[in-house]
Amino acid sequence: MNPSTLPTSALRRSQLYRRHTKLGADFVTLGDSVVVSHYNSMGDEKIQSQQLGLADLSTLPRIGFKGAGTPDWALSLGIELPAAPNRALVQADGTLVARLSQHELLLASGLDSRSQCIDHATARVTQAPLAKSVYSLPRSDSHSWLILCGSQAPATLAKVCGVDLRPHKFANGEIAQTSIAKINGVIVRHDQGERLSYSIFSDSSSVEFLWDSLLDAMAEFNGTAIGIKALGE
Amino acid sequence: MKLLTCPLNGQRNISEFTYGGEYHQMPDHQQASSREWAEHVFFHDNNAGIVTEWWCHSASSYWFLAQRNTISDQILRTFPADEIFNQRVDFAPAAEVSSDATPATKGESR
Amino acid sequence: MHNNKRLAPPFGSLINREQPISFRFEKQNYQGFAGDNIASALAANQQWLLSRSFKYHRPRGALTMAGQDANTMIQLPSDPNALADRVPLSEGLDVMGQNYSGSLSRDRGALLGLFSRFLPVGFYYKAFFKPAGMWEKWAVLIRKKAGLGTINQDYQPEYYDKQYQFYDVAVIGAGPAGLSAALEAAKSGGEILLVDENASLGGSLNYSRLDPEGTAARELRQRLVADVEASANITTMTSATCNGWFADNWLPIICGKRLYKVRAKQTILCVGAMEQQAVFHNNDLPGVIMSSAAQRLMHLYAVRPGKAAVVVTGNNEGYGAALDLLDAGVEVKAIIDLRQQPEYDAVAQYALSKGLKVRTGHAVYAANKNASGLHLGSVEIREIISQGICATPKSGKGEIIDCDTLCMSVGYTPTYQLVCQGGGQLSYDDDSSMFTLTNCPENCQIAGSVNSHWLLDDVIADAKRAAIIATNALELTTALAPEAIALSQQQSPNFGWPIFAHPKGKEFVDFDEDLQIADIINATKDGYEHIQLVKRYSTCGMGPSQGRHSALATARLVAAATHKTVAQTGVTTARPPFSAEHLAHSAGRSFYPAQRSNMHYRHLEAGAQMLQAGAWYRPAYYGSTAKRQECINAEVNNVRNNVGLVDVSTLGGLEVRGPDAPEFLNRFYTFGFLKQPVGKARYALLTNEAGVVIDDGVACRFSEEHYYVTATTGGVGNVYQSMLKWNAQWRLDVDIANVTSAYSAVNIAGPNARKVLAKVCSDIELDSEAFPYMGVRQGTVAGVAARVIRVGFVGELGYEVHVPQHCGEALWDALIVAGAEFSIEPFGIEAQRILRLEKGHIIIGQDTDAMSNPAEVQMGWAIAKNKPFFVGGRSIQELNKAPLKRSLVGFVINDLEAPIPLESHLVLDGDRMTGRVTSCNFSPTLNKPVGLAYVEPDKAEAGSHFSIKSSGGLMVDAMVVKLPFYDPDTLRQEY
Repeated sequence: MNPSTLPTSALRRSQLYRRHTKLGADFVTLGDSVVVSHYNSMGDEKIQSQQLGLADLSTLPRIGFKGAGTPDWALSLGIELPAAPNRALVQADGTLVARLSQHELLLASGLDSRSQCIDHATARVTQAPLAKSVYSLPRSDSHSWLILCGSQAPATLAKVCGVDLRPHKFANGEIAQTSIAKINGVIVRHDQGERLSYSIFSDSSSVEFLWDSLLDAMAEFNGTAIGIKALGE
Repeated sequence: MKLLTCPLNGQRNISEFTYGGEYHQMPDHQQASSREWAEHVFFHDNNAGIVTEWWCHSASSYWFLAQRNTISDQILRTFPADEIFNQRVDFAPAAEVSSDATPATKGESR
Repeated sequence: MHNNKRLAPPFGSLINREQPISFRFEKQNYQGFAGDNIASALAANQQWLLSRSFKYHRPRGALTMAGQDANTMIQLPSDPNALADRVPLSEGLDVMGQNYSGSLSRDRGALLGLFSRFLPVGFYYKAFFKPAGMWEKWAVLIRKKAGLGTINQDYQPEYYDKQYQFYDVAVIGAGPAGLSAALEAAKSGGEILLVDENASLGGSLNYSRLDPEGTAARELRQRLVADVEASANITTMTSATCNGWFADNWLPIICGKRLYKVRAKQTILCVGAMEQQAVFHNNDLPGVIMSSAAQRLMHLYAVRPGKAAVVVTGNNEGYGAALDLLDAGVEVKAIIDLRQQPEYDAVAQYALSKGLKVRTGHAVYAANKNASGLHLGSVEIREIISQGICATPKSGKGEIIDCDTLCMSVGYTPTYQLVCQGGGQLSYDDDSSMFTLTNCPENCQIAGSVNSHWLLDDVIADAKRAAIIATNALELTTALAPEAIALSQQQSPNFGWPIFAHPKGKEFVDFDEDLQIADIINATKDGYEHIQLVKRYSTCGMGPSQGRHSALATARLVAAATHKTVAQTGVTTARPPFSAEHLAHSAGRSFYPAQRSNMHYRHLEAGAQMLQAGAWYRPAYYGSTAKRQECINAEVNNVRNNVGLVDVSTLGGLEVRGPDAPEFLNRFYTFGFLKQPVGKARYALLTNEAGVVIDDGVACRFSEEHYYVTATTGGVGNVYQSMLKWNAQWRLDVDIANVTSAYSAVNIAGPNARKVLAKVCSDIELDSEAFPYMGVRQGTVAGVAARVIRVGFVGELGYEVHVPQHCGEALWDALIVAGAEFSIEPFGIEAQRILRLEKGHIIIGQDTDAMSNPAEVQMGWAIAKNKPFFVGGRSIQELNKAPLKRSLVGFVINDLEAPIPLESHLVLDGDRMTGRVTSCNFSPTLNKPVGLAYVEPDKAEAGSHFSIKSSGGLMVDAMVVKLPFYDPDTLRQEY
């Protein structure tokens, strides 16, 4: 880890980096991505992640595919498909594959920024055209990626979202495409081990608003921002 | 707040949806009389009873159809659009029309 | 004087005698206990007067002790119209009365009561209409007298918010029915919510007398509450008000500073019933209270309602109240039973055995003030001879009984509000003289006294029945639901006609609005016979308590006056909220989504003045507000003469891909796209089915099957949804994706644009031959994969560069650095608007409106003529058959002294309005104001003149010129 990594050291920058800097963030480079390692202003973020934490993973790799040929094509790449729409499955390489409809997938890298699935798929995208009726979507950029985790995450989400996301009603791997703090987004229950965790993908231009709204909703439960280090296994 | 069941996303607050107007068949745009066309564009049946309507789940941009009783405001059934629209629509070539428009500059606005 | 006197336990179940609390009322110091509300603490200090009535400023005190009436409205430092019998006592609380002049006990406004005959029913309506001008004279007085409380304008906003909650079954009301329903429902294993507006679970079990000894209620309450508390799947919320019933069991529950948006699969309303007052002369005097209020005072707060009491009753509950009063050491002077031949239950029998004086078939005909004039001093008793009529004794006066407390126990109204909001219907049963509820909404049950059950066993059985129906519906249980409990076998607690007119009036039907019997009767005589009209004409039921205590009496009076049954008369519509709520609860934590481009902070750092367009923040111009126009002009000049950079990330972006992509665009937009060459952009104009121009952009063809289509910032969401909706019908082999937020974009424009771009882009040939005007390319700019489009929106050599969103700031930085040697400067929306205006380009939504068709806005050229179909095509054909009604033209103002017209200033021909200005600005390039306006078609020729009514009403002469104003041969942008 290089503690002197600047948030601006890469061309891709999370729109939240100034907020992270204000909170005393140390940044780290993972693959091609610069992300918050941890915040110097916070206490033990590992404990925080069990209770209530919010992390910004917007710079990590993602990609999407849709079109009638998508399921077969994904299978040909060795991707294990979630059985039904609005279900997600973590692949062996750590990639989160979210099936948003019969014919649409969203792929997000592992928390270490690595994903063979995305690498393979991205390589194919550059060798256009893709297979028949398969279209790529720039999910790394169209959407931001936040993770809200910890035992108080459902109570927090209940303050910004009208879908029942409590763990016994919304199983690991379930997806809700819904409105969060009045903006559209995709919520994926995406536990890491024992830690209850929700990945939130939403319009990247609204991420500052969403970040502020979530931190505000988290305050009563003593939730804070956390870095990616705390999310590690 | 009412609930509406999206065929893709399940039951949600109706505030997650956009209303897309009554479903009705477009008349043949070349054969229809002016009156018929005007009625298609501007008039709605506005039936007291069961109507079929377009709805779109905003977060997933998914269009579907709903049968609703406008008297009781009860939603009887929602279903994917391909239940009605199950094949490709093509239009016959247009009859020749004389050109009378004046050319002007091109530009697009923001 | 103020001595916080209390009864001994077990009276006072809610108060903590170990925790005294000091507070102030009307600038006097008082003491109460934790667990008190303001009214109970004041009552413990023998302060009964709480408020002055709305119209006549009559003295008023607690009536229900349940937060159901408006008598207890008081002023808190930041909260007018708070309910003294609802607000918990807190240390140092500073409470004032309201709606008086002078002091609460000596209110000069009370003189109004003497003039009450000048304030007849329908006064406001009559005053409004005749004689003309009368209202202006009255208004000053009325407004001053009618105000309730004062708003603290220094109020510091507090944090209110909202939260969703989800339950299988929500039980509203935690009396014997609610507790039993929750317990029964909990057996199913479902998630149960139990809500009560009071501080303690148990409802009437907290204060009512079920048995002669007066212990059964307490014991039952303890048992039920213990069972509820032991049930892990029951969540209880106390001091929480379910303030409405909305479709599909959406329940707004207010608790503290939070509004819970509860979604329940099943709802059971066990909301109980509200005790009603008897209507007789001076029935509003402090000291005249509901029996249940007296019982609440004693049992919950250990407050003795008075020294000497009379009970007026139409049922056996009044006898229970009398027993409670005896237990509390109150002298019960008499029980006045309205019934001729009461059927006594065990409790009443026990009361009779105490040797109390009982008068059956008698009524309290009038209440009289004591010496202070502010409290009950005695009641006058008369014999009832027929419905509402009392015998007149020979002496002219009935029996006078001195007392300081009169407890009224003459009947109840089911708490119908939530049920009726859900479409439930209120009927009236003439046999029982009770309102009954039917037609509950789907997935909603009622149980207990709201369902007309009064005997405890029936109430509990009814609650269990409702719970089983609910859990069966959820498929959590499969038990056979017991049959509905018959109503006929029980004795009604309602006395049919507890209404006794008096020659001097002041028999109040509606305390909130000071409405008397005659007011209601006169409303019907004035022709307002329908209950809804009576309400609007008389204002009955329109006050803060929303008819809780006036609906039943009003329905009875209107029915009698109009010779209908009460059932036919009905009640007025109940609408949410059930009780007054703070606006802050509705507002809650507000979400105002904001969108920012990836370059947002670069604009701020460069001194931009930001404006919000929709949710997007965009730079208006760069520099100080004091030098606004200079800054904008400099930005315009820099683009015209050098090179500028503008953030266009907000521009909509749509990917249209697949074998049918050209066919799709051909059908969707007005132009032809089938023959569009790869590597070229084409203007895309969108009309709706009515042929109205609704959006525009450019369609960039990157390959045979791949178009990247731009759309307006505000329009892209609708354009995208519309595309999907059409293709849900056409089923073309095409994929449509909204990638607006996936791209950061800039437009680098000006004569030096190519030189700057060349410094950071090596893999695209930029010279005009290789990359001509309206060309599109993909390559690398500043190390980032980019889509580059040669467009001419601002009328100079320009390149739109679209890069992945997260790289926007890096792109901006690279272009600013590369452009430094050419003095590149950012420009904002204001400069862009002037630049495009100089080029005569319209902005959809600014220069068009909901009626603009392509021919009107000179866009006929963008309509393909021989396409089989496009959206709006047929309507445009129809529109073109008729002569043009108006034309959008360019104009210049040659008089440089004239005020520059603004958007929407009118185009006038004499007195006739013939059009309007849509855009107008001083053009730094042409050095005069230029604009766009709708004019009559015969004024559309270049050289025509028309008049604009500009600021200050000044008429300004405008001359039509051919568009564009600047660079008519488009040499510059095609350079």
